[in-house]
Amino acid sequence: MKKAFSSIYMVIMMLFLYLPIVTLVVLSFNESKSMAKFTRFSLKWYEEMLGSRMIMSAIKNTFTIAILAALIATIIGTLAVIGLDAMTVRSQNILLGFNNIPMLNADIVTGIALMLSFLLFGVSLGYKTILFSHITFCIPYVILSVRPRMNKYTDTLFEAALDLGASRGYAFRKIIMPELWPGITSGFLLSFTMSVDDFIITHFTRGAGINTISTLIYSQVKVGIRPSLFALSTVIFAVALIVLLVVNILPGRRAKRAALEV
Amino acid sequence: MSELIRLENISKSFEDTNVLNNINLTINENEFVTLLGPSGCGKTTTLRIIGGFVQPDSGRVYFDGKDITDLPPNKRNVNTVFQNYALFPHMTVGENIAFGLRVSGKPEQYIKDKIKYALNLVNLNGFENRRIDRMSGGQQQRIAMARAIVNEPRVLLLDEPLGALDLKLRQEMQYELVRLKNELGITFIYVTHDQEEALTMSDTVVVMNNGLIQQMGTPEEIYNEPENAFVADFIGDSNILSGRMVRDKLVNINGVDFPCIDGSDNGFLPGREVDVVIRPEDIDIVPPGQGILNGTIISKLFIGVHYEMLVKSETGSGFEWLLQNYDSYDVGEKIGMYVKPENIQIMHKPKSEAEQAIELDL
Ligand SMILES: Nc1ncnc2c1ncn2[C@@H]1O[C@H](COP(=O)(O)OP(=O)(O)O)[C@@H](O)[C@H]1O
Ligand SMILES: [Mg+2]
Repeated sequence: MKKAFSSIYMVIMMLFLYLPIVTLVVLSFNESKSMAKFTRFSLKWYEEMLGSRMIMSAIKNTFTIAILAALIATIIGTLAVIGLDAMTVRSQNILLGFNNIPMLNADIVTGIALMLSFLLFGVSLGYKTILFSHITFCIPYVILSVRPRMNKYTDTLFEAALDLGASRGYAFRKIIMPELWPGITSGFLLSFTMSVDDFIITHFTRGAGINTISTLIYSQVKVGIRPSLFALSTVIFAVALIVLLVVNILPGRRAKRAALEV
Repeated sequence: MSELIRLENISKSFEDTNVLNNINLTINENEFVTLLGPSGCGKTTTLRIIGGFVQPDSGRVYFDGKDITDLPPNKRNVNTVFQNYALFPHMTVGENIAFGLRVSGKPEQYIKDKIKYALNLVNLNGFENRRIDRMSGGQQQRIAMARAIVNEPRVLLLDEPLGALDLKLRQEMQYELVRLKNELGITFIYVTHDQEEALTMSDTVVVMNNGLIQQMGTPEEIYNEPENAFVADFIGDSNILSGRMVRDKLVNINGVDFPCIDGSDNGFLPGREVDVVIRPEDIDIVPPGQGILNGTIISKLFIGVHYEMLVKSETGSGFEWLLQNYDSYDVGEKIGMYVKPENIQIMHKPKSEAEQAIELDL
């Protein structure tokens, strides 16, 4: 009885989570434009997607901005963590408090604030302002994921390296960096997904004539959405799924190999 | 033995708390010195000042006659075995040991030989390609030792290196450490809060409390002639009582007069209030009435080689004496107790806080 109940619960939960995505995927392969009836399997919306300049440039914008923003935010955030480590506990706590505020802040507030600032300083909205905004909102996440790797233990490792005669720079490169790497990579990945995912802040800071995937879909909804956007969404979902699988399987493999070596 | 390290008037505070108060300490070449004291008394801070990781607020550190107070750690001819070993987790055992040698640009063949030599010295032959996290606590401890000694430091600093090991391994490692020290012929400065460890291994024990050196001497001196009640209490089990000097070589404890060997020639004037320490193994059991005082056994515990007993004295306020004896006596039995005069350790009472404050004002 209890078991039956728990499996029913699981099924319902899975339906809620995945039914909408399945619907989307199915409709992207529908030959007709109808959202209510599946007529025949076809790849025509995928063809339309690949042929559309608008869609392709939105994809390009989305991913170049995501990579650049993640890269720059990761560098700035990591440097911030290194700086924090040298401060007193008191100032660290104050600064980390400030670091948390932008993450809790509503995106719409951040978006409007950024837009107003750009306008105030006479910066015309476009690719660069989107990029700048994305770097801004990614930095706190990088700090949040790198910071735990920089702790008392790492400090002692640094001291041990100095004790063995290493210069500060050498100790940092050889001992501290390898310790920070996992935090840095997860900060980068987190920033990347946050950037790809963002709609609201991009919407306010993009200006006319430039779109990312999310703003493109939003603008198309107003004029009537075409199934080629279902195809686009399906592709994005598939990419995310593959990345997730790779990220989850690789470390497991590596650990297993390491275990076999010994 | 010639002087190697000297701490001169070292003081240090962290955010308004005084951690070290005017420490003066001289360490000789080839000496095994142990800093002993309860947790938080400033042992690690002292060690870190010698290693160069902490700057003293005032005072100087001398190494081989030269002032090294402002020298960074990587310029000091000193290596440390850290409390949690601080082995580099992403490197193999061999790479860990080679780290210091690579930094100083030694040729690869030399490094290879040195790793072999060091692993042999700590009984870990053939482990150079193992990963650090595949090693047990005791093995990691040995690797930390090896990593430090390949650099041929003149001084090895060890911060509670055996603290994380279980009792049996700890005792084994105590012998290992003494053997290593003799083989290497260098100075060891060792930090521990374990009095047994300190007494077993050291040439010199420095007992610390509240950022002050309480007493410094050989293990025998520290054990047999503690200078104050803190040292007596911290080193081994003991009976610590208040007493009053009756006259030279006679002290009154809880209304009973005990012959002793101290008197006005070493500062204990008649009438002076003193602290008295009597070690439990120094109390002889004699037939009732034939000792200095009588008592009744109220508890008995067999702890290996001997029995440990609590004896409630008939006189005084019924003080409960701790006794150790090879013979067993029954609970409830009445006995006499006798203490040889030379086994009664008389100490000055610590100054009250008010007196100390006045002294500081002067
Ligand atoms: N970096 C630091 N900042 C603030 N307080 C410290 C620091 N290092 C040590 N202390 C304080 O100094 C005192 C002595 O510490 P320590 O030398 O580590 O003692 P021990 O090694 O004898 O246990 C402790 O009360 C500790 O909290
Ligand atoms: Mg300590």
